[in-house]
Amino acid sequence: MKGEVKTDSYSLSRVPTLADTSPRKYNKRRRLIETSLAFGVPGSLIVLWQLGFHYEWIDNRFYASPWEIVSSKKLREAELWSEIWTSVQRMLKGFFAGSFLGVLLGVLMGVSRLFRAAFESLLTALYTVPKLALIPVFVTLFGFGELPRIALIAVTVFFFVWISTMSAIMGVEDGYREAALSFGANKWQLFRHVLFPGALPQIFVGLRIAAGVAVLMLIGVELVLASDGLGALIEKGRTLFLPELTYVGIAISALLGLSFTYLVKILGRVLLPWAPEDQTPNQN
Amino acid sequence: MRKLSCKIEARAVEKVFSADSEDEVQALGPLDLKVQDGEFVCLVGPSGCGKSTFLRIVAGLLNPTAGRVDIRINPKNPTPISMVFQDYGIYPWKTVEGNIRFGLEISGIPKPRTKEITDHWLERMDLKAFAGSYPDTLSGGMRQRVAIARALAVEPEILLMDEPFAALDAQLRQLLQDELLTIWQKDQRTVLFVTHSLEEAIVLGDRVIVMSARPGKIVLDQKVPFERPRLPELRAQSDFNEFKNELWLCLKGEVENYLERVNSVDDKIGTHDEG
Repeated sequence: MKGEVKTDSYSLSRVPTLADTSPRKYNKRRRLIETSLAFGVPGSLIVLWQLGFHYEWIDNRFYASPWEIVSSKKLREAELWSEIWTSVQRMLKGFFAGSFLGVLLGVLMGVSRLFRAAFESLLTALYTVPKLALIPVFVTLFGFGELPRIALIAVTVFFFVWISTMSAIMGVEDGYREAALSFGANKWQLFRHVLFPGALPQIFVGLRIAAGVAVLMLIGVELVLASDGLGALIEKGRTLFLPELTYVGIAISALLGLSFTYLVKILGRVLLPWAPEDQTPNQN
Repeated sequence: MRKLSCKIEARAVEKVFSADSEDEVQALGPLDLKVQDGEFVCLVGPSGCGKSTFLRIVAGLLNPTAGRVDIRINPKNPTPISMVFQDYGIYPWKTVEGNIRFGLEISGIPKPRTKEITDHWLERMDLKAFAGSYPDTLSGGMRQRVAIARALAVEPEILLMDEPFAALDAQLRQLLQDELLTIWQKDQRTVLFVTHSLEEAIVLGDRVIVMSARPGKIVLDQKVPFERPRLPELRAQSDFNEFKNELWLCLKGEVENYLERVNSVDDKIGTHDEG
């Protein structure tokens, strides 16, 4: 719908469209369309999936149908909720520990050339190591308890947050620094009033990506290194040949990732009312 | 430091920018300049003549490569110099009030006094209704009002202004010039004002300094012959335009020099491409 109408071959007319004449109505309609798409597309895929079972296009020995997942007895067992809670706790602990260290090191390296010189190549090299490959190392370091699981999540989160924090601090416009320095700001004041707040929107983008990654890592760690939690549930479904169990686990972890990512995003909006809306696509 | 007879004294100041010692660009000088206490001095010159560089040296944001600038200040004043920038001056993450308060916070003024001064400037700059707004929601003119309020709130002895109105449209520009004129005429501070508008320089300044194309040197240092307090109507007077034309003749030559060099650089790049 463009505001251009061809009246005859010799003239072009620019006329208002619905978006111009009644923007409220237009926006309402646009939002309605967007919302229906946001729910409609996944919704129809689920319907298709269910139909696949109904018409036996899909082998129900290996896969579970949406209805089986939703009506699963497992969902009504208190045990499932304690599994979820175990997983959520691991994820949150790992996420907060990793984010804290990531912001800390990102800030130090963003502010100081010397720190950057000392650690950048080292961390970049470690960044590329698949963290699941480090499981044996973490088990030897931290034993068989909760610690290696949380530590693995934390390490993964750390790298995402570290990189985005460092580049965010370095990317704060020179003009903003100059203005503070012209008032005689010292290093701490420069950081507190300019560098940190200026970097926060970008740091939150990093945190949001890391939130998704934390869920990925959580399930990965639990698949191999835990007897409880969502990952273990998925694994149990596979070994006991109960696809329903596996798919309940997968569905819940997907929802967990979705809600956690949104939570971080909303937190960013609330804490940084001045920042332009974060346009980066959702991870996961 | 020896006793200075004036507020700012620049002697043989030069600035050379070099990425690595190979590619050196002489941006400024040698430049000598004396500014008296309470004087409003405007620097005009073609783009890249180093006028902003000189301002940054006075502000302490850059060091000269040679020569020196001495500034006489009251040692008790926590913020003897403040600066207004063309853009990026005010912080999008601070409210209007937070921005105006910024300089006072930096210099460690006690909270109640900070509040008092901030309120005063909110009132004086007609920003009271926007105290809690973020700069993103304001027009360019209002943002620059915030920047001016922030710079004046610390009661600097020297105010540096780096093309503060360059991004504004002509009407708004004139409005803010008049506002600045009123404020300055009330409590005269030393001002160094960089602009590329002759009209602006003449309306505001006690002296207009025309700088040459790079490396910037002073080619003309002219007292503005109009009495204070000046009124906005000054712009319409015939002697105002005469004076402006006089300065323009001088500046024009420098702008032409600047253009010539830009073109010759283009030529060089052209031959490089072919070769």
